Amino acid sequence: MSSISELYDVCWEEMRDKLRKWREENYRNSEQIVDVGEELINEHASKLGDDVWIIYEQVMIAALDCSRDDLAWSCLQELKRQFPDSHRVKRLAGMRLEALERYEDANKLYDSILQDDPTNTVTRKRKISILQAQGKSSEAIRELNEYLEQFVGDQEAWHELSELYINEHDYAKAAFCLEELMMTNPHNHLYCEQYAEVKYTQGGLENLELARKYFAQALKLNNRNMRALFGLYMSASHIAASPKVSAKVKKDNVKYAAWATSQISRAYQVRGTQECTLGVFPVRLEDSCHTLLMEPPLL
Amino acid sequence: MAHLLLDSSIRLWVVLPIVFITFFVGVLRHYVTQLIHNEKKVDLQQVSDSQVLLRSRILRENGKYLPKQSFAMRKHYFNNPETGFFKKVKRKVIPKNPMTDTSMLTDMMKGNLTNVLPMILIGGWINWAFSGFVTTKVPFPLTLRFKPMLQRGIELISLDASWVSSASWYFLNVFGLRSMYTLILGQDNAADQSRIMQDQMTGAAMAMPPDPNKAFKSEWEALEIVEHKWALENVEEELMCQDLNFRGLFS
Repeated sequence: MSSISELYDVCWEEMRDKLRKWREENYRNSEQIVDVGEELINEHASKLGDDVWIIYEQVMIAALDCSRDDLAWSCLQELKRQFPDSHRVKRLAGMRLEALERYEDANKLYDSILQDDPTNTVTRKRKISILQAQGKSSEAIRELNEYLEQFVGDQEAWHELSELYINEHDYAKAAFCLEELMMTNPHNHLYCEQYAEVKYTQGGLENLELARKYFAQALKLNNRNMRALFGLYMSASHIAASPKVSAKVKKDNVKYAAWATSQISRAYQVRGTQECTLGVFPVRLEDSCHTLLMEPPLL
Repeated sequence: MAHLLLDSSIRLWVVLPIVFITFFVGVLRHYVTQLIHNEKKVDLQQVSDSQVLLRSRILRENGKYLPKQSFAMRKHYFNNPETGFFKKVKRKVIPKNPMTDTSMLTDMMKGNLTNVLPMILIGGWINWAFSGFVTTKVPFPLTLRFKPMLQRGIELISLDASWVSSASWYFLNVFGLRSMYTLILGQDNAADQSRIMQDQMTGAAMAMPPDPNKAFKSEWEALEIVEHKWALENVEEELMCQDLNFRGLFS
């Protein structure tokens, strides 16, 4: 089996830099990390200096993802030897137990870490992910709520909670979590768009109006967000089609929907696909719009 | 102004050795501090409180991106006269007495040991070893007031105050080498004496202001006066006044 360095003609420094880039940008390409990292550890461990420990950690987590327990175990042994009393290494040992589905043992380990250091947020989140892995979503939601009561600033946790609520179809609470995220990151168009989708799914006239506004905001933040553009079209046409609105609101929404249509067809023009002509497309959009409204929500 | 020609061996055997001594003692102090430094235990309550305050501040600043109802809900949660967080939660504040609180006492002692003691010792040794001659000249003119301070051991009435002794050169080095330490030891190093002295003057440096109740009260006041002006009021009009920019969409 030829090694990575032969296959791609890279030297060990480039491999190490690639690993660092993946680590800093939170990539989850575990198989690649395992391939590159394994070779780096086996061949060039001495040249890495102190970097080797963080690479061990990165490779171990990737190995757990790919069910490479042998590699994970050897990485863990090295780390345990170097840092015998570290909470971080204990947490990694807990993650390995989780991967082997020994949830009770993992829980015991995490509890011992938390006894020592109650402010260790990562460990608490691992306990919650054990509950998620076991499928106990309502307990996971409860634990996550308690966690967030103490650590209101943890954005990753808010996002996770919003996903849990969406899975439980509790859209009002999911909207609350997404509002927290929007508040802390007002310029992130993805949170605006996700919030708008949740509002659209909730249904009802005010929610649709809110959805339309937030789709527009997402577009304003990022002109290329096609999903938001489609969302804007759908919420506007949905409001226009509702019988309860006044004439002025109807007129406005028809205008918005028409604008969205023109932008969508412009986008397709830019793409230059052959299968769509200007005249036919808006009509087709109307049909697909009706079928889309019948289907489950955009989420 | 008297122009004095100093023996060049002064430069070789006094000026440079003092620079090296100061520098290496500083590096040594940094490592010794790291060795005897113990991790500050973070209190869960403090972390939680600081995050709550941060959330309230963000609500004030970015609340205009939320719908009116959501903003009102959160403001109500914080500021409601009966059940609001800032009204209801009162933290017990234990004033930390430096004399009785053991952890602060040991910290103070360690600080003194690693910083003040070497400075006194070495300053005194230099004063004793390198005394009786002029070491260097500061490039700016000084008044006669500075003479007794900077010219220890030199009993010349007519000598300019700009000519200083080795002790003052030592003190100059102590403060001047700070940027060198930052270069070599990285930011936030323990060899930085002037910063430590500043810390001692401004009081205990903790993660949270020692009185969370005061912080809560000021946050409550700030939140009371904030009004919700929805940023998304005319977002559709603003969006639709020009075509969307699809550059890079299909790259």
